Amino acid sequence: MEQMRKHLEALALEAVDLEPEDIPTMGKIVNTLSELQFECGDILKPVCKDMIVALQGYMERMILGEAQDVKLVSDAVSCLQAVYRSMTRGEEIREEDIKLIILRLNGSEGATSRASCDILKLEKSDEEEGPEEEGHNTTQRELTKEDIELLRDFVSESLESLSTIEVTLIDLEQNPEDSEIINSIFRPFHTIKGVSGFLSLQKINKLAHCCENLLDKARSGEIRIDETITDLILESVDTLKQLIEAVQKGIETGVSLEGNIDIDPIVKQIEVVHARSEQIGNKPLGEILVEDGVVSKEEVSKALEEQKRAPEKKVGEVLVEKGAAKAQAVASALREQKKFGGGRGTELHVKVDTKKLDTLVDMTGELVIAQSMLRQNEAIVSSTDQKLFQTMSQLNQITSTLQKVAMSMRMVPIRSTFQKMVRLVRDLARSSGKQVQLTMSGEDTEIDRNVVDELYEPMVHMVRNAVDHGIETPEERKAVGKPHEGKVELRAYHQSGNIIIEIEDDGRGLDKERILEKAKEKNLIEAESSLTDSEIYNLIFQPGFSTAKKVTEVSGRGVGMDVVKRSIEKLRGRVEIESRPGRGSTFVIHLPLTLAIIEGMVVRVGEERYIVPTLSILESLKPDRSKYTSVHGRGELIKVRDKLIPLVRFEKVFDISCDCKDPWDGLVVAVEYDGAQFCLLVDEVVGKEEVVIKSLGSSLIQVKGVAGGTILGDGRVALILDMAGICELSSASA
Amino acid sequence: MDMGMTVLVVDDFATMRRIIKGVLKDLGFKNVIEAENGKVALSELKKEEIGLVIADWNMPEMTGIDLLKALRSDDRFKELPFIMVTAEGQKANVIEAVKAGVTNYIVKPFTPDTLKQKLEAIFG
Repeated sequence: MEQMRKHLEALALEAVDLEPEDIPTMGKIVNTLSELQFECGDILKPVCKDMIVALQGYMERMILGEAQDVKLVSDAVSCLQAVYRSMTRGEEIREEDIKLIILRLNGSEGATSRASCDILKLEKSDEEEGPEEEGHNTTQRELTKEDIELLRDFVSESLESLSTIEVTLIDLEQNPEDSEIINSIFRPFHTIKGVSGFLSLQKINKLAHCCENLLDKARSGEIRIDETITDLILESVDTLKQLIEAVQKGIETGVSLEGNIDIDPIVKQIEVVHARSEQIGNKPLGEILVEDGVVSKEEVSKALEEQKRAPEKKVGEVLVEKGAAKAQAVASALREQKKFGGGRGTELHVKVDTKKLDTLVDMTGELVIAQSMLRQNEAIVSSTDQKLFQTMSQLNQITSTLQKVAMSMRMVPIRSTFQKMVRLVRDLARSSGKQVQLTMSGEDTEIDRNVVDELYEPMVHMVRNAVDHGIETPEERKAVGKPHEGKVELRAYHQSGNIIIEIEDDGRGLDKERILEKAKEKNLIEAESSLTDSEIYNLIFQPGFSTAKKVTEVSGRGVGMDVVKRSIEKLRGRVEIESRPGRGSTFVIHLPLTLAIIEGMVVRVGEERYIVPTLSILESLKPDRSKYTSVHGRGELIKVRDKLIPLVRFEKVFDISCDCKDPWDGLVVAVEYDGAQFCLLVDEVVGKEEVVIKSLGSSLIQVKGVAGGTILGDGRVALILDMAGICELSSASA
Repeated sequence: MDMGMTVLVVDDFATMRRIIKGVLKDLGFKNVIEAENGKVALSELKKEEIGLVIADWNMPEMTGIDLLKALRSDDRFKELPFIMVTAEGQKANVIEAVKAGVTNYIVKPFTPDTLKQKLEAIFG
């Protein structure tokens, strides 16, 4: 009783203070009411309880701005006090008065709750009158500078967060119960919705809102994430992207901001899923337990019934208490449900224009050069000043650290490229009716930014090939005794200064017979030629080669592996194929760590130094006189390992001659480019070096045979040879 | 309203922070600082004398509601004006915030006028 008096007194004071819009006081009243209900529940008459519940409901509506009648609240409170007084005196209370107030408190409920329930409908009617007005609003409104800036920020921020959704979503498909993942998808939608609303981008706002609602349901466990839902969300992400890109265009051109992309179909679809969920409304924990075979469905539904009566209890608790499930089993189901791995650490990043970064790298290169020139300066070399040497060596350290840091800034983890494949594999598998699981390792392997961009296309091609041609249909797989789900694995790792990327599938492997047949048909090889396995496999890199029996949307159009090979080679990398008939194939891409540095052999030709990229070198040798043949019309040839390879002299291609006139006096470096082999005659191999590639400058772009320049350790300039160019030049002069 | 007081804007989305900051500046507030989540906000609150907190609900690390609860359980911040700006427009959310002691709340999307009204309601 004492408790009740205290609470009622507090309540009365709060009610006196109460004004519409005074939210803190409303909060206090709600809290006092729940305390009152909680602590004095057993001494209160049912009619009082009803009153408190009704008042609570009214307060909540007041908080939401759906009700304003302060007077009614104070009436209700005084009524409660009257009840209390009559209780202390032991008198009967007049229930009619109370009922009347309850009625009044509930009275507006009909109207208000309808209003709040029908948010969806309201929005629909908004939309009906919306479009025209919308169009005018967004197109005709003059965008201020500030608006544009905000819009720009919004575009870049949201596009970024949308691309994270894509990846996390696929994570989610694998762990549909992981609330942390749902949350991290929910959040971007949520913010996009918030900001777009502010910027009056109605379509974006609406779509984001729908997705958010859907995810909210998933978050609270009302719906279970399945493929339909992830598909739907992915589709929404795509549409949102289009809308946002339209905004981006709109900012530039000044016309219609969101464009005329129709979001209605997708919004309707989401609503359908939504509605469906309301009908089913399943409870994941129970489901897990049933799936685990811990409890039966009936027991779960019984427990759920019980939970309704005692809402503070969890389903798990009820099940354990009833002895239907062991605590351990529930705990492990809960663990599965939660999948705690905690929040992912967010790293701080600064976005920098790549041009600035390139300039930085360039300048550091210049710094290194200037420093090495300084070190070799006569005045410094002949100096005996100890202090000068100390400073010089310090400078040396600083520049080399600086260079390393600058280089590392260009490096990005290959993760993003890999993750793009996730979506691709998923979509491909879906459209071809195959089941494919994509696993990856080494996503943190870092690779030059420019390489990453260039790598995307070839990777897409190879992954498509793996799924389309490699992996068999579930039926075919079953027939040969493989698990029905195919596997594609992406791996990245470092190996001796290279980055290796492997794409492995456990499909049917390359069909040697078919490749040979096809190659003969296309006259790529002669009918009787005997080839090694790897030579056969490499045939698929020939232009115009495609063995696909069926042309699908994505692969088998005849453009294919040759393009892949060429783009990898452009990155100064190479591709290898390993294949095990019936067990799958592996494509191995070797790439240099960075495009800014090239590993090469420094050779001397007369007074000049050239760099021959290591990647294209087969071997270097000092030929005997007997290995040399000169054939009329075919020029000079050197026999290297029983093969006659044409000799290329620098005087022919660059007008610079060797000191040695005959190959047996000098050295020959055998190189290969695109299947063509040739030997370069040089005076001396100076050494192997990793050099920073510098372009020749804009005025010298058309120089054939030279890929760029570099400055050697001794400060001399050397030209980096471009094998493609030399190949061309030498065949032209021959 | 004391235009010199420091307002702390807490939101994980930088654009949203800028928007709110802009509105506050337009209203005449001179000192506005930012935090990207509840945790950061708490450390800011320890460092500086803050007159008003405007926080988003859904944020990584520490949500707005957790921030609010943390503040209300600390005697120094019991009365600190706290506006929740959120797109969590559902009833239950608003009521949870009010129960936790929010001073006022704004449902996104909102107009500068709404914020102004709410501020006037708080500071009179």
